[in-house]
Amino acid sequence: MKLTELIKKKNFVVTSEIGPPKGWQVEHHLDEAKKYFAGIVDAVNVTDNQSSVMRFGSLATCHMLKDRGMEPVFQVTCRDRNRLALQSDILSAAGLGIENLLLLTGDHPKLGDHPGSKPVFDLDSVSLTHAVRQMESGVDLAGNKLDGDPPKFCKGAVVSPCAEPLEPQLMKMEKKINAGTEFFQTQAVYEPEKFARFMEKIKGWNVPVLVGIVILKSVGMAKFMNENVAGVFVPDPLIEELRKDKEKTKSGQTGVEIAARLIKEMKSMCQGVHIMPLGWDQHVPAILDAAGL
Amino acid sequence: MVEIKKTGLKPKEEIIELLEGKNKIFVIACNKCYKEYTDETNEELDQFLKLMQENGKNVVGTARIDFLCNGQTAGKKISEFKNMDEAETICVVSCGIGAQTTMATLDGKPVYTVSDSLSIADNATTPQAYHGICIFGQKCAACGQCYLNFTGGICPIVECSKSLINGPCGGAKNGKCEISKEHDCAWEKIYERLSKQNRVQDFIFLQVNVNDFSKPTVEQTNALIKAVRDKRDENFYGGLHPYSNKDSTTDLPITAFPEPETVAILLSQHTGRICEPLVKAGEKVKYGQKIGEAGAPVSAPVHSSVSGEVIAVEPLLHPALKKEVPAIIIKSDGKNTPHESIVPNDPEKLPAEKLLEIIREKGIVGLGGAMFPTHIKLKPPKPVDILMINGCECEPYLTADERVIIERTEKVFSGIHIIAKILQVKKVYFAVEDHSQKAIAKIRDYIMQNPMEEDLSLVELKTKYPQGAERMLIKKITGREVPRGGLPFEVGVVVSNVGTCAAVSDAVREGMPLVKRVITVAGENIGKPGNYEVKIGTSVKDIIAYCSGSLSGFDFISYVLKMGGPMMGVQQQTLDVPVIKGTSGIVVFKKADIEQDIARQCIQCGRCVDVCPMELSPLHFIFCAKQEKWENTAAYNVKDCIECGCCDYICPSKLPIVEIVKKAKQKIK
Amino acid sequence: MFILETKPKEELEKLLKPGVCVIKCIGCREISLPEEKIEELLKNLELDAKDVLAVDYLCNADFTKSRLLKYKSEIDKCNSILVFSCGVGLQVLAGMLEEKSAVQGLNTIYISGRGLAPSDYDCDQCGECLLNLTGGICPVTQCSKGLLNGPCGGAKNGKCEISKDLDCAWEKIYKKLEASGRLDSYFRKMKVRDYSKALAKPKQPV
Ligand code: SF4
Ligand code: SF4
Ligand code: SF4
Ligand code: SF4
Ligand code: SF4
Ligand code: SF4
Repeated sequence: MKLTELIKKKNFVVTSEIGPPKGWQVEHHLDEAKKYFAGIVDAVNVTDNQSSVMRFGSLATCHMLKDRGMEPVFQVTCRDRNRLALQSDILSAAGLGIENLLLLTGDHPKLGDHPGSKPVFDLDSVSLTHAVRQMESGVDLAGNKLDGDPPKFCKGAVVSPCAEPLEPQLMKMEKKINAGTEFFQTQAVYEPEKFARFMEKIKGWNVPVLVGIVILKSVGMAKFMNENVAGVFVPDPLIEELRKDKEKTKSGQTGVEIAARLIKEMKSMCQGVHIMPLGWDQHVPAILDAAGL
Repeated sequence: MVEIKKTGLKPKEEIIELLEGKNKIFVIACNKCYKEYTDETNEELDQFLKLMQENGKNVVGTARIDFLCNGQTAGKKISEFKNMDEAETICVVSCGIGAQTTMATLDGKPVYTVSDSLSIADNATTPQAYHGICIFGQKCAACGQCYLNFTGGICPIVECSKSLINGPCGGAKNGKCEISKEHDCAWEKIYERLSKQNRVQDFIFLQVNVNDFSKPTVEQTNALIKAVRDKRDENFYGGLHPYSNKDSTTDLPITAFPEPETVAILLSQHTGRICEPLVKAGEKVKYGQKIGEAGAPVSAPVHSSVSGEVIAVEPLLHPALKKEVPAIIIKSDGKNTPHESIVPNDPEKLPAEKLLEIIREKGIVGLGGAMFPTHIKLKPPKPVDILMINGCECEPYLTADERVIIERTEKVFSGIHIIAKILQVKKVYFAVEDHSQKAIAKIRDYIMQNPMEEDLSLVELKTKYPQGAERMLIKKITGREVPRGGLPFEVGVVVSNVGTCAAVSDAVREGMPLVKRVITVAGENIGKPGNYEVKIGTSVKDIIAYCSGSLSGFDFISYVLKMGGPMMGVQQQTLDVPVIKGTSGIVVFKKADIEQDIARQCIQCGRCVDVCPMELSPLHFIFCAKQEKWENTAAYNVKDCIECGCCDYICPSKLPIVEIVKKAKQKIK
Repeated sequence: MFILETKPKEELEKLLKPGVCVIKCIGCREISLPEEKIEELLKNLELDAKDVLAVDYLCNADFTKSRLLKYKSEIDKCNSILVFSCGVGLQVLAGMLEEKSAVQGLNTIYISGRGLAPSDYDCDQCGECLLNLTGGICPVTQCSKGLLNGPCGGAKNGKCEISKDLDCAWEKIYKKLEASGRLDSYFRKMKVRDYSKALAKPKQPV
């Protein structure tokens, strides 16, 4: 089912995500996803060569999730495919019954495990969204007619509500909406006040937003994100909290508590939450539990 | 040569939409680059103006600028344009770099580009490519990991439409690429070339080529760019770094050149009125005797550099003026009997007026080459506060000044002191380039051991030609800019060459007129290179005969001889010219090495503009000369040219720009 | 515009046969030739820097022709020619000496733009100049991903995700547009690059 329809129905949706492995044996990962996500979250994102690291494909994983009764969100990046491959993959997704897309520009290959590869970026998130909308109207990006019925998707995109400066992000967000984006997932948020300000700014645009939550695994991770991850800032009190009880942090309990608290605080401001467990899938049910979802 | 179209006007509709509701348009058009310079029209500009007219737009002004991408020269020109304030909208006709430069320069105004830059690449994966500096057929995309070694020198990145690096795809038909019948299959060409060289097997067993797009990193590239930029911007705008070639003479001490049998003292060895001879044929003269003088204030007397008998007063070819000038020919008696006027003085006891009088009487002129009378320079129309000693011997080959600093340090400093006293300045800069480390050490030691009255700072400058030009030195050291066509005193500075300082000291302390000087003799076929102290009036023929061993090895068919350095020196057509006060050296080259006869068309590469320290656009001189429109050179400020030769040196078409400048200066006098 | 860097010694050793003639193009030495590095490399390859034939503007076919005549004896007797020039220079030379193997000693690195000396501004000849929409800052060359429709989410502290040495182009563009009150120009169009304007054109006549 399309996420936008779900949002209409439920008022608040919960999504999570999995990253396919660097290998072809995905069974184990799918079992885990089934165990922790099926019936618990509304939809599951599948990342596309996340962080520019080469992995098992996103499209195939989506298909396998669907087979196992979960609602996939197909992430598509512009890093490593040109407009032919992108549109072709998106048509394939339609053929496989995938309804939700998350259209991204993608990290630069220099950041990943094949730094020597040729960066593509033939399209970007905005033009890719535009291309999908074109296809939905029955023609491809170049204006050539598609055979048969046009595909129908729910098109998502991302935004960084805590980025400094925020204005360029808003500028692009508006552009994405103009190009056809129907919902947004955000980068990880640890500062509810900033998020509130962001939501205030975009009020008039009437577009559903799923706030991004990344489970904090350790003090090191928090610090690393502060140093290196764009648009993410973990405030000192949270880092203190992680530092205080090492055992509790290690077991994941602190991370779960923080995540649940953040969700509770921001729940009323937005239309959903997107949890990025980064391998800690097992903690997702606990978080939702603690957040009262 | 290949014509390359670098920019085209944007589609009409786009321009109209862009300029909707906008009026009072000012157009800045780049004269563009890399195209044969055959006329001064600019097609795109004309098209644009026509379009504006058709659409009833009010164009308030147009400016055509050379090399809009050159931030320094173009930036200045842009800010000088009139009508600009009136304009509400500025449109640029140029490639993207020119547009960006303009937009950054006119930060506060809305600037629009009405052109699109066009790629010159012919291939599917690499939009960017360049064509070397001379625009023939070949192109390179600068892939950072050149594959030519495996492809027999045919570029697979640019020539192959898919930039394949491991052999052909299956798309070629009849030797043509699948994307166009116009395009030869690169890999078929590569195969042929490799077969000719028997290297096909090598290629087959080569490792699989995989392009590494991460190399070089941005950081590396930025560092490289910065290094180049820094080198270009060192000390002053323009200029270059010719090979110094000073090794053959830099360590050779000054030696006295063998006494000449006759000398020819030209009556014009200074800027200003020619001297009248004071002696006649048959008269006996003594060493240091004044033999020529002009009544005019701007002039300097000449003296006999030997003792002996005047054998003639007759016209002789002047090595710098390139015309005949009267000269006094003296046969030496070999005794050097000094004239009575040579009497020592104590500068400390003499007033400035008296010192100036001695300097004038002893015929001192600037030894750097310009030969401006020193007594005039030291009496500037308005007071100055800085004396700058020019020890920058930036010309390749020449080492005479360096040797003077090293061996005659005391004389140089005594001269500095006298000059500072005359000018009443307290601040003295002594500028030396960092290639003369020995001279620098010597000066440093000297200052340590001999505290001076004046506040003297030694300035060590990174070597760059033409550092020795006054303007460059003043700008670099004091930050003051001598106005175009102006003289250093206008910004409160007097510049003196080290040799001149030593000559001033000799004149005052020993009463010795300027009758000899140190010159460097070096270059091809010079068996005895060196720094020689020669008598003024010594024939170049004598010098070549002595330094080459004999005259038989030298001819003007295979050699080029310059008086002065290789950059600014004056090329001679005969050996029958005498050394004059401004001769800093004699250098000889093989004609084949300097390839004078392969001049081509100007291709508007812009290198001459990039190196011209006077910020001129030398390429236009060529165009004016070709059309015989000499008067037009004035508008391009030909008079400001200091004839440094940088443009000549760099021009990839080997155009004789300085020669044309000299001609132009004469024609428009 | 390009800049040059020496190739590793190991790569060249394999290709050079004894009896090497070295040709160095000094046309661009004021700008892009790494002369000290070349000297170092020659020393490592045990070649004598004194025997180097220095010529300028190898890319000029007319000059190169006359130089090849001038140095005919040196070239005839050598087994490999080691060339220090940009890619264009070697192509011109190799085209004239088809039977000899000319070995390139340098890598040519693209630094975009076509000013004369490297300048602050770059242009990739995209064929559909976008500067009017971006306040005079080129998104094609200055943004690491060449994005045309606004920033990706990768910038941190104003720096691009691929290097702390690089300012995020889109933050600069935003500031510029904001300062000049032209933010609306950005929203006017959604841009998709038309690579056919920049690529795969019929070859220009030689
Ligand atoms: S590269 Fe420079 S000279 Fe050439 S068109 Fe662009 S701005 Fe003009
Ligand atoms: S392979 Fe081609 S593009 Fe790469 S450096 Fe060599 S000539 Fe230039
Ligand atoms: S010779 Fe004249 S035009 Fe040429 S670079 Fe020197 S000052 Fe400029
Ligand atoms: S350097 Fe020579 S070819 Fe280049 S623009 Fe100047 S005159 Fe023309
Ligand atoms: S937008 Fe295109 S034409 Fe304009 S400066 Fe950038 S690359 Fe060049
Ligand atoms: S961080 Fe900025 S410059 Fe870097 S890729 Fe993203 S938008 Fe472009």
